[in-house]
Amino acid sequence: MTSISSASAGVFAEAPAEPDIGTGRGDRTPLWRRVATGVGLPLASVLVFLGLWQLAAVSGIWTETFVPPLGKVWQAFIDTSTTHDGVRGYGGYLLWEHLYMTLRRVFFGVLIGIGAGVAIGVAMGTVPWLRRLVEPWLTFLRALPPLAYFFLLVIWLGIDESPKITLLALSALPPAAVATTAAVAATPKALTEAAVALGGSRRQVLADVVVPSALPETFTGIRLAVGLAYSSVVAAELFNGIPGIGGVVKDASNYNNTPVVLVGIVAIGLSGLVIDGLLRLAERRLVPWRGKV
Amino acid sequence: MTAPKPSGAVRRGLLAVLLAVAVLVAATACAISKPGYDPDKPTIRLAYQTFPSGDLVVKNKRWLEEALPDYNIEWTKFDSGADINTAFVAKKVDFGAIGSAPVARGLADLHIGYQIAFVLDVAGENEALIARNGTGIEKVADLRGKRVATAFASTSHYSLLTALRQAGVNPSEVDIVDLQPQASYAAWQRKDIDAVYTWLPTLDEVRKDGKQIISSRELAGNGKPTLDLGVASTEIIESKPEVVDAWRKVQARALALIHSDPKAAAAAVAAEIGTDEEDAAAQLAQGTFLTIEQLTSPEWLGTQGKPGDVAEAVHSAAQFLKDQNQIPSVPPLADFSAAIYTEGLPGVFDNIN
Repeated sequence: MTSISSASAGVFAEAPAEPDIGTGRGDRTPLWRRVATGVGLPLASVLVFLGLWQLAAVSGIWTETFVPPLGKVWQAFIDTSTTHDGVRGYGGYLLWEHLYMTLRRVFFGVLIGIGAGVAIGVAMGTVPWLRRLVEPWLTFLRALPPLAYFFLLVIWLGIDESPKITLLALSALPPAAVATTAAVAATPKALTEAAVALGGSRRQVLADVVVPSALPETFTGIRLAVGLAYSSVVAAELFNGIPGIGGVVKDASNYNNTPVVLVGIVAIGLSGLVIDGLLRLAERRLVPWRGKV
Repeated sequence: MTAPKPSGAVRRGLLAVLLAVAVLVAATACAISKPGYDPDKPTIRLAYQTFPSGDLVVKNKRWLEEALPDYNIEWTKFDSGADINTAFVAKKVDFGAIGSAPVARGLADLHIGYQIAFVLDVAGENEALIARNGTGIEKVADLRGKRVATAFASTSHYSLLTALRQAGVNPSEVDIVDLQPQASYAAWQRKDIDAVYTWLPTLDEVRKDGKQIISSRELAGNGKPTLDLGVASTEIIESKPEVVDAWRKVQARALALIHSDPKAAAAAVAAEIGTDEEDAAAQLAQGTFLTIEQLTSPEWLGTQGKPGDVAEAVHSAAQFLKDQNQIPSVPPLADFSAAIYTEGLPGVFDNIN
């Protein structure tokens, strides 16, 4: 119990120090202002957006295929989330099941991609000749849109989970590797030299100096990697993508079913926001020294 | 760390980058204008797809350009009927070559202002269900518990579900996966799927080590034909009926050529889809192309004031969309009959040479 309460207290104490919330010292700003800027502003922007959308929809300038009214999108959300008239969700699966399958693919893909990417990055950052050997390949891979090679993955790996997870891993790997390489290579020379002068072995220097110094930037790379992988879900679920939220978007657009496309897009976007929020939280807990060294 | 003032070298570098960007912008600004485009003429915009049909003959032989010298003719290639529907909604095209399922979608729920003015082809042996050798599938009913690939929302998808229903198989008893033709061929070679309902040219590849279970020709015989249709926007029908007539005439001329001189038609189609003449001839031979007499018979488009059974086929495709939960309800048959453009039929096809 105590550990949980202290953990949450820790988060609470640190929250005002978050640079993008603070307008000056957080603890001096009145509570109502913090609530207003932290919750009120995003909420207001969402409301304004929805209002403009609805206005555009009812104005009749565009047809419903382009800008469906909010009521239709909401109805599509209800229809895809429930069993109605004996029909289960969309394509036989409920919305959360589609989302779950996609998140599972993203989780495994990103885990593999980031694991490999960070390992390659550390190796490249510490061994200069390795960097020259591997970097062109990474840049090559990074320049490829996933759609360009997805067909090859289907030929090599089939139509089930493996090509999808591989695609997500391949899109997450380069940003993680590149950020880690840069972070490791940017370790202040003075620190490593000091550690060596104090008698540290190569392994000790790596574990106690290089990794802690590189972690903050590596974390930025990880967030980028997750974002890139997440933006590839529609490509990954292009073939045999149902169940999967990307498959839903692709299938519905084949039928010009704009409301369902929008439901899918909102689901992808919102879950992306949640994931990024969780990563930021993890970053704050795991790398509290960011910006302070 | 305080920001250092940019040194001379940095400033020169920045200047070089800016200059390069400016040159690039200038280069992209002078886009290449289309050959034969005359800004003083009105433009007729056609959406086409690369399935073998008379539409490609018309395009390749430039018959429409010939028939309408006072217009710019703009052909745009599309990959699916859904995209063409979107283009019609946006009022960016006047004519389209599009399958019966997307037309049903466009008429039933999107309320797109277009009318069915031509039947380009009827799916025959060019769309079929093939079972892989060694799977033991001999008839449609054997598909229970098997994995079957087809491209969702396509005419093949519609035909597969129709075949299952006619054989008394509930689609939920079959593992149907969504794969575009080229991907289904990859999955086929890897033995990831047991059967596939697809079209040419992938169809000929899977036929080499598979057994044909049913084709769209048989389904058409059972009263469930899938069609490729020529549609014209209501706007152009009302404002420029003479253009629609010219378009119908060249389409009829292409149909006639496919019957009278298949070699010449195949050469034109081959040039458009990037294959050789022999292959194009084989592809054309597997489709069903109507004669002008058939086209204007009650079985297909019908005649002025008496729309034919094409309405029935599109109505049935709308039922398929309802079963897929893509439209809330199926409009009555009369709505589809009203969307068939029969003005001047069959007289408009006299003397098409």
